[in-house]
Amino acid sequence: MKSLRLLSVDPSDQGSQRCRLGPGLMSALGLSLGSPLLVSVPGGSCLCTAWPRPDLAEGFLQMDLKCSSPSLISHPCTHLDLDPGQLTPVPCLKLKGVKITVVVQSVDFRKHTPPRLIHELVKDMLKGVHVHNKYVINLQDFDTEIKYVVIESINPESAIAGYITSKTAVEITGVQTVRHYRSRLQKQHTVPLGGLEEVSASLREMLELPLLYPRTLSSIGVLCPRGMLLVGPPGVGKTLLVHTVVEEVGASLVVVRGPEVVGSRPGESEAMLRAVFEQARAATEEGPCVLFLDELDSLSPRRTGSTAPENRLVAQLLTLMDGMDQSDHFLIVGATNRPDSLDPALRRPGRFDREVIIGAPTLQQRKAILSVLCTRMPTCPSVDMAELAQRTTGYVGADLSALCREAAMHALREESKGSGGQAVGMKHFQEALKSVRPSCLRSSLGRTDLSPVSWEQIGGLDEVKLRLRQSIEWPMRYPEAFVRLGLCRPHGVLLYGPPGCAKTTLVRAAATSSHCAFLSVSGADLYSPYVGDSEKALAQLFRQARACTPCILFLDEIDSLVGSRSNSQTPNSVQTRLLSVLLNEMDGIGLKTLERRGTEKILQTEGVEENHTQEQLDCQEVSNKDVMVVAATNRPDCLDSALLRPGRLEHIIHVPPPDQQARLAILKACTKSMPLSVDVCLEELVAKTELYSGADLENLCKEAALLALQEENMEASAIKHTYFLRALSKMRPSLTAQQIHTYQTPPK
Amino acid sequence: MSKPVLTSLHQALRKSFQCLENNQKVWENVLAECSPLMVSLGNLAEQSTALSNVQISNTPLRAFPDLEERLRFKLLQATDTVLNKLSEKMSSLQSVRDAISNQVSAVFQLYEQSTDSLDLLTVTERSAIAPSVADMLEWLQDAERHYRQQFLRRKTLLQTLRADNLSLLESAPKRWKSLESPSAEDNITDTLCKVSFFMESP
Repeated sequence: MKSLRLLSVDPSDQGSQRCRLGPGLMSALGLSLGSPLLVSVPGGSCLCTAWPRPDLAEGFLQMDLKCSSPSLISHPCTHLDLDPGQLTPVPCLKLKGVKITVVVQSVDFRKHTPPRLIHELVKDMLKGVHVHNKYVINLQDFDTEIKYVVIESINPESAIAGYITSKTAVEITGVQTVRHYRSRLQKQHTVPLGGLEEVSASLREMLELPLLYPRTLSSIGVLCPRGMLLVGPPGVGKTLLVHTVVEEVGASLVVVRGPEVVGSRPGESEAMLRAVFEQARAATEEGPCVLFLDELDSLSPRRTGSTAPENRLVAQLLTLMDGMDQSDHFLIVGATNRPDSLDPALRRPGRFDREVIIGAPTLQQRKAILSVLCTRMPTCPSVDMAELAQRTTGYVGADLSALCREAAMHALREESKGSGGQAVGMKHFQEALKSVRPSCLRSSLGRTDLSPVSWEQIGGLDEVKLRLRQSIEWPMRYPEAFVRLGLCRPHGVLLYGPPGCAKTTLVRAAATSSHCAFLSVSGADLYSPYVGDSEKALAQLFRQARACTPCILFLDEIDSLVGSRSNSQTPNSVQTRLLSVLLNEMDGIGLKTLERRGTEKILQTEGVEENHTQEQLDCQEVSNKDVMVVAATNRPDCLDSALLRPGRLEHIIHVPPPDQQARLAILKACTKSMPLSVDVCLEELVAKTELYSGADLENLCKEAALLALQEENMEASAIKHTYFLRALSKMRPSLTAQQIHTYQTPPK
Repeated sequence: MSKPVLTSLHQALRKSFQCLENNQKVWENVLAECSPLMVSLGNLAEQSTALSNVQISNTPLRAFPDLEERLRFKLLQATDTVLNKLSEKMSSLQSVRDAISNQVSAVFQLYEQSTDSLDLLTVTERSAIAPSVADMLEWLQDAERHYRQQFLRRKTLLQTLRADNLSLLESAPKRWKSLESPSAEDNITDTLCKVSFFMESP
C-alpha cells in the first residue's frame, strides 16, 4: 500500500479526537465510523477515532492529538510520510474507572479551586473520550485553566485503552501546574552517575524525609536540615550529582550561578538574590525544590574590610538563609572547590547544616564510574574495568569521561580508516591514557614524564631490586597477602650508595612496573625567595599526591633538600623548615578533613568468600591509600635521624658499587646495542674495573665506541677489544676504597 | 438488505436534528436572559469596590451607625440573589446540553449496532437530497461538542468567582461575553439548513 502523508489537523476538528483518512483505507483496516485507532509516529503514538475525510480522498492523514503519549505533547510532528502499517485498530471498552493527574495552568487556580469542582469539571470534560493508559489527554480546546489530564491507570487493568462514559469513576491523584509537568517531561534522559552512592543517598534523604514524614518530624520537635555544602576538587561531579538526585526525586531545581546574580548597580545583586529565593519558594508549592548555588565561593567570599560590595551580598544571603521558615520546604545546596574562601558564617548549622566532602574517586569508585560511562559505548569484552581503574590513579570523574571519549574517538578514527570494528577495545583506552592526564595533577610541580625503564635494563643489583619490589610492587600486586599477614605498605624507602650506582634509574624502573602516579621533586622546584613559600609548596605537593594515591613521591638528593637539624649552622634555615614539613607530612597526626576520599573501609577478614577480584580490589584500596616517599642520597650521614626512624623512611636500602658479577651484567646491558668483535672478552674487562661504578662502565663502553670511530673513520663496523683496553687506560675509577668503606656502615 | 437499517438510522437522525433545532432556540433564549444578570453582577462588584475605597467617616454620612457593614451586607445579599438566578439558568443550560448529548449518543449507538450491515460505501454515499450518514453523524458530534464546551466554559467562569476577589467579579460580564462564539453557532444553523430538505422528506 502506498504511504500516507501526514497533514496538520483541520481547525474544525480540533478537540474532536478524530483521525481523518480515506474511506478505502478505513474499510481495508476494517474500521467503521468512530472506531478507535492507534497511530504510531516517530517519537510517540496517538489514540484517535477514525473518520472518513469530507472529500473522501485517499493518501492523507490528519489527526487530532487529543490523546497522545507524553512525548508528543512537547514535540508534535507534522509533514511526515507514514506507512499504513503504523495504524492499528484497538478495542476500546467502557471503563469502570480511571486514575488521573490533572495539569492546570496556574498555581493560583490550583490553590483556590476546591477539589470537588476540579473533579466535576474534569469528569465532564473526559466524557466520551477514548483514553490509553499512561497517555496524556489534551483539554486545551475547552479553554479553561485545566490543560491536560494524565491517565495514571485504568480499570479494568487488563485493557490498555478504553472509553470513558458518564458512569466511569474518575479519581484524581494529584494536581500539577503545566510548568512543573513540562519540566518533568524534559527530564526523561538522565546522565548516569557512578561511585557517588553514599553522597547521593544522603542528599536524597534530606530531600525526601520532610516530604514523607512531615508530621513525625514536627512531633519530635526536630527541624529538618535545610542546607548542604558539597566540597570537592573540580571535576568530581558535584553539579552532576545535584542534577541527578533532583531528577530522581522529581524535585524542581532552581540554579543560581554566581555571576548571574551580580548586577552593576548597588542593591541590584541583593534584589536578584531575593528574587531567586522567592522563585524557589513558589516552586515548593508543587513539591520538593532544591535551590542550587553553584560556585558558592564566587557568590559569598570571606568578608574583608567594611565597604566591599560583596559584603552586602553575603549579608543578604545569610539573612535569607536564616529567614527561611519551616514552612518553606526547600533545600539549599551549595557547591564549591574552595571551602576555605567561603565566609565562615555560612558554615554553621542552621545555614549549611551538612558539609559533604567528595574527594577524588578511589579505585572502587573509579571502577563504578567507568562502568557507568561505558554502558552506552560498544566496548569489547576484553576491556577490563578493574584494570583500567587501577591505571587511572588520580583521575576524577571528568577525566574519566574525557578518557572514554578519547578512546571512542580513537576507535572511530580507526573505523573510518577501514581497519578494526566499531567496538572500543583495550588498545584504544591505552592510546587515550597517553593523551588524557589526571586533572588533579595538572599544575603540580612534581609532575614528570618519565621514559619507561624495565628491571632488565639494569644490570646486577638483584638484591636491591628484590627489596624495592617488596616495598613498591608487592603491595600493589598482592594486596590480599599483605592484608592476610597484617602487613602494611612501607611509608618510605631510602636508597643510599655511592654516586653513579643507578639509584635514580632503579626508582624509575619501580615506577614503571607499578602503575602508580609518580611525582618527582628537586630543590629547584621547591626553593623560592619568599619566606614560607617552599614549605607551602611541599605541603601542597603532598596534598596532591594524597589525592591520587597510590602514588610514589620521589625526592632525589634528599640531603641537599632538607638537611639535618643536628649539624646545621643556621637552625632556622629553609632546609630545617622543609624538614619539619616533611616529617609532619610523612607521619603527621592525621589528614585534613578536606582530603577525605571515599568512605572508610574496614576489612573484614572473616565472612563469606565472595567475588575474588572484588575482594582483591578491596584489599588494594585499604593497603594502598598512602603516599609512598622514595628518597635517594649519596650522603646518608647528612640526614636527620628523625627522618630515618620506622614510620618514615623505614626501608633503608644500600645500593652497593657493582661487584664482579654485577659489572659483567652491566657491561652486557650496556653493550647490548653495540656490535662487538669476537675478540672482546668482557670477563677480562670486569677483572680490570675494580672500583668502577655503573656510570663509569657505561662511559667506558661509549669511549671505546668513539675510539673505534676515531681509528677506523666512520666505517667502523665492530668494536675491538683493544679499544676497550685503550679507553680503560685513560680512565680512572670514580670510587675509592675508603669511600666504599664509609657506605658499609649503615646510617644510624 | 441494508435498506431497512438505513431507513431507521435516517429516522433517528431526523429526530436528532429536530431535537437540536428545538434546543438551539432554548439555549439562545436562556443565554439572552443571562446577560442582564451578568451585567448586574458586574455592577454589584463595582459598587463593592467603591464601598471599599470610600472612608465613610470622612463623609457627611458618618451620622448613620454601621453604615459600611449594612451596605456591604445588602450588596452581598444582592450578589447572592443574582448568583442564585444564574445557577437556575445554568441548570436549564445543562438540561439542553444533556438532551442533545443523549440524543447524539443514542443515534451513535444505533449506528454502532448496525455497523455489520452498513459498509463504508453506504455510509459515505451522498445525494442531492440527503447528505451522507457520516457527514450527519459528524455534524451532530460537532454540535454536541460545541454545547459541552460552551457549558463547561460558562460553568467554570461562574464557579471560580470568589467574593474576596472583586476584580475577578467585576470582569465577569466581559469574560462571559467573550465566551460567545458566533461562528460555531452559525455552523449549527448552517448544518440545520443543510439537512432541512432531508428532514422534510418522509
